[in-house]
Amino acid sequence: MLTYIGKRILVFLPTLFVITLLGFIIAINAPGDPVEKMVSAASSSGEMGKQSISQQEQKLFWRKKLGLDLPVFYFSISSLASPDTLYRVYDKNENKALNRLVDRYGNWNEISNYYLACASFYNKVIAVSPDTAGLSEQQKNKLYDEIVQLKFEANALKSAFTPEAIDAKFTTIKQIIEKNSSLIKLQNGYINLKESYQNMISNASVWKNYIPAINFYGFKNQYHRWLFGDGEFSEGIVRFDFGISYVSKQPVGEIIKTKITWSLFFSLCSVFLAYIISIPIGVRSAQKRGGAFDRTSSLIIFMLYSLPSFFVAFLLMLLFANPNILSILPSSGVKPVEGYPEGASLLECARLSLPYIILPLICYTYSSFAFLSRTIRGSMLEVLEKDYIRTARAKGLSDNKVIWKHAFKNSLFPLITIFANIFPVAIGGSVILETIFTIPGMGLELYNAIAAQNYPIIIAVMTLTGILTLIGFLVSDILYVLVDPRVRLK
Amino acid sequence: MALFKKNKKVVSTELEDFNFRKYTWAQFKKNKLALYSYRFLIVLVVLAIISPILSNDKPLYCKMEGKSYFPAFSFSDFYELKNEKISLEFYDWKHAELESVVWSMCAYSPGKSDALNIALSPGAQQVFKKSDGELIQMPSKFRHRLGTTRDGGDVLAGLIHGIKYSLLIGILSMLLATIIGVLLGSMAGYYGNTGLKLKRGMFWSLCIGIFLAWFYAFYVRSYSLVDAFETGGGTLFMSLLISMLLFVLIILVFYFIGKVISKLPYLKVIKPLRIDAMISRVIEINNSIPLFLVILAIAAIARPSFITLILLIGLSNWSGIARLTRGEFLRVSSLDYIQAARSLGLSNWRILFRHALPNAIGPALIAIAFGIAGAILTESSLSFIGVGVPPDTITWGKILSEAKESTSSWWLIVFPGAAIFLTVTMYNLIGEGLRDALDPKLKK
Repeated sequence: MLTYIGKRILVFLPTLFVITLLGFIIAINAPGDPVEKMVSAASSSGEMGKQSISQQEQKLFWRKKLGLDLPVFYFSISSLASPDTLYRVYDKNENKALNRLVDRYGNWNEISNYYLACASFYNKVIAVSPDTAGLSEQQKNKLYDEIVQLKFEANALKSAFTPEAIDAKFTTIKQIIEKNSSLIKLQNGYINLKESYQNMISNASVWKNYIPAINFYGFKNQYHRWLFGDGEFSEGIVRFDFGISYVSKQPVGEIIKTKITWSLFFSLCSVFLAYIISIPIGVRSAQKRGGAFDRTSSLIIFMLYSLPSFFVAFLLMLLFANPNILSILPSSGVKPVEGYPEGASLLECARLSLPYIILPLICYTYSSFAFLSRTIRGSMLEVLEKDYIRTARAKGLSDNKVIWKHAFKNSLFPLITIFANIFPVAIGGSVILETIFTIPGMGLELYNAIAAQNYPIIIAVMTLTGILTLIGFLVSDILYVLVDPRVRLK
Repeated sequence: MALFKKNKKVVSTELEDFNFRKYTWAQFKKNKLALYSYRFLIVLVVLAIISPILSNDKPLYCKMEGKSYFPAFSFSDFYELKNEKISLEFYDWKHAELESVVWSMCAYSPGKSDALNIALSPGAQQVFKKSDGELIQMPSKFRHRLGTTRDGGDVLAGLIHGIKYSLLIGILSMLLATIIGVLLGSMAGYYGNTGLKLKRGMFWSLCIGIFLAWFYAFYVRSYSLVDAFETGGGTLFMSLLISMLLFVLIILVFYFIGKVISKLPYLKVIKPLRIDAMISRVIEINNSIPLFLVILAIAAIARPSFITLILLIGLSNWSGIARLTRGEFLRVSSLDYIQAARSLGLSNWRILFRHALPNAIGPALIAIAFGIAGAILTESSLSFIGVGVPPDTITWGKILSEAKESTSSWWLIVFPGAAIFLTVTMYNLIGEGLRDALDPKLKK
């Protein structure tokens, strides 16, 4: 028994790895820069440069806190030309430009010299304080305008990669510097920059791009940190740390803990209800196969099966929560708008919430009910053809006894599988139903996260659901063994 | 002799008469619901093809200044009239002075709004602004027959043009899933764990070859491919073609290297490739991933486009087909006629695709029909949530999602909802019909 469970766990490990990897890949490919989102850009006004230095520090802090200063994975496959330290250039555009330059020229030493020259030239441009003595107001304004343009060009040079774009920027910069005598200090920097650019072109080693290379980074990488934490800023998803929500700046784990209650409630209740309704229906229709009951119930179940849940939800609301037709049930929320009265007992709360729960619960239940009935009918039909059922009947046992005692027990397998799905569904919630009925659970949270591009939550939900699905499978595997010893022998 | 000839003829016609395809079709036809669903599918395909004729805000035919025009079928974007150039797309046809005109059944296109009639139910009073600015009751040929959405779009036009998105996404994504599923499933089932044997040298040579082929064909060329994707068209095609050719070429080179080095003593040991175990593992992994959430997460992050959506749904739905095909191939490959084909010395590929596949494809067909139904549901759920579908295309799920704002606008719920429901039921019924037709237990 234990060896069987051990074996199953071993089999699950690769799947677990794939799920976490999938979550991680989606996480790092999310558009936009997470650091930019965290540092609320309060400096839209004011001068570029001076103010952005404090922002720079803040960004560096967040970069470290989010672990973005680390390599992505345990190893990387690249060519000999691309250096193993490129991930340290954190600006996405500059990183892209450097990659392109590597692809074009292949000589990392010269490229990094050129990049550093660009950066230092940009810093010089930012720090420049032109001598404005003896200039008229108009000339001053013109000069400042040109400096702004110079800053823009110098900044854009860092993320330019085609020779045409770089040449165009060089010409503009040269023109501005030569036109204004007060900017003559920048001349040296410009010449250095130009020289390093020429060096890069003349010392190109394109052949390096054609030799594959594998770099190993060890455990200090983003994926490892995401999984196990770094002991400083992050605990890792093994300790339920999924990062920080972009919107509320709260830890994602906390948000999930507070939001999961209603989702869990609905998924447990609906599964319970679905079992209660579908078992008698499934058994009955299998018992009298082809009879009137079987045919009508099969047809209804089949229709239910193809009905999209959002359609059903809207139809129910249209019928029962609509002032024009029947307004007997509220259409959204899970409790009265004014909340529960103070000191209300649990029973009182339940009574108040009941009308709000009915419609969502129907929607939650009907699809799993349809699925369950079909499965039970199928497995009952299979079991009823077995020899031991014929034997039981031949012994003269009553029909009820044969069905419930001999046949039903052995057709229980599919039910176990479905039971394993409760927890993953609770985490993901039903995005659609919770949105329609405004149930404050995980599904609505996920919907809002998608609308607000709040990626940590999306990825946390996806990864957690995957892990819980796996645990569910494991539990159902163990239950199979407990119910049927034959499974272990296979 | 004559007798023998006659006999032979009788036997052969009997054999020819039993055609598996014909037999299955006859069985399928017995199921009335499935047959109607199949006919309904054909009707839908026709509707999707003629949708520009059924619903178009340009007239099908019109006569201006003595000349006949067919704006709805025109390939040009502009008409030269006197000295004026009019844009077909933006010209106000409903107010134009036309000598004679034929409108399509629904004189609106999806995605264009009628600012005067917003969120109107089919029965409500609709207004039309005459050229002189006077508001009159809507002429019956311009009525919004199924009401309008919250930004004044025509629901009927959205429904008609939604057919093609629904059909395309369902069919194309399952086509992708079928290709992957049948390929993997048939390999796993046919070869099993011992069927595919490779010399050690060949195995390692191919491993290195695949890595290098990927490196040179796709990694080194990644930037030219990215640039080609941005240009699109012929450049993209050429660029992809070069990469593919390079890939195949490098693998071929390593195949020959493998042949040569497999003559060395250590490397010529023959080892079975456990292909069934590997593919079964991949299927199991695919099954235990919460696919809807993965699709949701990726669709929320990627730029919305139909191709992404089709790829996502296709890449996540192949495991059922693979599992069924594998099972059928396991069964079929032990049958006598496959043994006979083997003993005749036919190549593995020929046996696989010419002899085994046609007899093993049945169960996969059932899974495909159900899979299309699932794909349509997934697509409409995603567009209901507002993820993955480009913002300017109107799908059924998108019309339905507009009812979120006010649940009493029943026409935004009933019509698109019924359209989704009918299409999904249709595919499910076809699947059921196929299952009954292909089930040998029900053979009479």
